[in-house]
Amino acid sequence: MGLFGNNFNAAHHAALEAAQKEGKFPLSVNRVSKEYLNGERVAVDDMSFDIKEHEVTAMIGPSGCGKTTVLRLMAGLEYPTRGNVESFGMPIKGPGPERGLVFQAYTSFPWLTVIENVQHGVAIQGYSKAEQRDRAEHYLKLVHLIDFANAYPDELSGGMKQRVAIARALAQDPQILLLDEPFGALDAQVTWEMEEMVVEICETTNKTIVLVTHDIQEAVYLADRIIFFTSQPGRIKEDMAMEFKDGQRFKRKEDLLSEPGYVEMEKRLYTMMREEIQGRIS
Amino acid sequence: MNENAQTATGMASAADNGSAPIGQAPLFKQPRDGFFELRGTVSRTQTIILGFLGVIALFLVWELAHYLTPEQQRKFVPSATQVTGKVIQLFAEKGFLGDVAKSVYRIYLSFFIACLVAIPIGILMGSFIKMRALINPTVGGLRYLPAASFVPLLLVYFGPTDFAKMALLFLGCVFFLIALILDNIEAVPRALIESAQTMGAGRIHIIFRVTFRSAAPQILDSMRNMIAVSWTYLVIAEIVAATDGIGAVMMRGARFLHVDVIMGGILTIGVLGVLTDITFRVAAHFLFPHTHARR
Ligand SMILES: Nc1ncnc2c1ncn2[C@@H]1O[C@H](COP(=O)(O)OP(=O)(O)OP(=O)(O)O)[C@@H](O)[C@H]1O
Ligand SMILES: [Mg+2]
Repeated sequence: MGLFGNNFNAAHHAALEAAQKEGKFPLSVNRVSKEYLNGERVAVDDMSFDIKEHEVTAMIGPSGCGKTTVLRLMAGLEYPTRGNVESFGMPIKGPGPERGLVFQAYTSFPWLTVIENVQHGVAIQGYSKAEQRDRAEHYLKLVHLIDFANAYPDELSGGMKQRVAIARALAQDPQILLLDEPFGALDAQVTWEMEEMVVEICETTNKTIVLVTHDIQEAVYLADRIIFFTSQPGRIKEDMAMEFKDGQRFKRKEDLLSEPGYVEMEKRLYTMMREEIQGRIS
Repeated sequence: MNENAQTATGMASAADNGSAPIGQAPLFKQPRDGFFELRGTVSRTQTIILGFLGVIALFLVWELAHYLTPEQQRKFVPSATQVTGKVIQLFAEKGFLGDVAKSVYRIYLSFFIACLVAIPIGILMGSFIKMRALINPTVGGLRYLPAASFVPLLLVYFGPTDFAKMALLFLGCVFFLIALILDNIEAVPRALIESAQTMGAGRIHIIFRVTFRSAAPQILDSMRNMIAVSWTYLVIAEIVAATDGIGAVMMRGARFLHVDVIMGGILTIGVLGVLTDITFRVAAHFLFPHTHARR
């Protein structure tokens, strides 16, 4: 990361475009291990997979299996102990605006209003004042929060705060959107609303999304592909394409329920989750 | 349609009870919010009234102490009214305003310089762990040196000058100020910094626009608390070979056993301290609207 930020310059852009043409993956995890406490704790063990463009990939697994760790490695906030993570064929050297991250904890800046928060991210990308405003308004509309543009984050509910975070991440125009249990702290009804909003965002922006979640139904609903992690150390237990959906995105969550193959998929995931949890106990 | 159904059933049950369902339900009578309600509420007027009551109580106890002292020693415990009268007389006849101005000038200027030093050092240490490793052991140790012990040294170096006095006031608060600001900076949630990084912000941007901005209300709070400490050092700073300032007036009073002058000085410092505190609070209110924006 440069002293004055914004290393996402024209040269980088050109290199990215070239990489996309060559068919390189937005993210590829190559034999990555992550150890903590001088190797005493292995969070991630020799993991390899690629994230495909325009796909929603969900990473799911029991608590403590290394989901957040992998996402932080992708964001560039941490570095692997072994192996490497690449984005469009280039090794990740640190965090950057091309990989937007929505944290599980609320990370809006409390001293800025909602619209200023969204603009802040845009401003770093070097847009003009007028463009900043336009972009911020556009994305606030997308997350249905335009009426609260001038409120402070502390005046909002939890669900609204996460919508600010999503709008902020989208407004910086990332190529990959990383979501770490973005709705983990929300109640069922708000989560449901937010999930449908994500589908809407997929439709309108066609972003590559990596979603960490512990909610099986959420993963099945949103993802084109689910990567199931084993519990401690994290390895890939199974890598499943949601073929039964046949590439469809469901605007209404209940429409998913009547889809043939849905129940089997969900049952299979529950069985896998049980195996992992019981394996840990015994 | 649903609503209609509800009103219909509501009417029916009301009719059963024989009471007319007209108008709104009666206002809810709140259970009383007594003086010792745990985490109770207090209105603005109540706050002001209670605050004044506290001050009046202090003055009453003071008056009482005066009249409870035996006749012969009573002049050593002047009453609140006597002291207040003395302060007014000092202002009117003895040019006390000049002394007060001088003391205020010393406190504010020395404190301002202390902030100019402490804030950058605190931010540097809080942002760069290696800076912290370099500076913190030294500064941490210096905190334990009583500022008063520097008085002879400062006298030898600078003589009975204004500079010596302000240097003492500076030394009295700067090390604590650094430690407090370091804490404030380190208390900034890591996630805020990381989210700025994932937006592509650079180090300079993060330090000024995220870390500092996030910690600013707490830093102002630390300043408010430390300037109070600065006021407590005032008399020590002005005791030695001072010709002006509140402390000097009090020392002169002591030489002639004018207890009312000494107490007048204490009272003045107290009032000035409270005014300083209020100034900081008002500044915080306008500088950081988000800290009091609530639903
Ligand atoms: N900074 C750290 N120091 C030591 N151990 C860590 C650290 N960060 C993570 N770990 C360990 O790595 C493992 C994986 O952690 P991680 O946060 O990635 O799990 P997770 O799958 O996101 O869990 P959850 O679903 O509960 O959020 C855990 O065993 C955790 O204790
Ligand atoms: Mg996690």
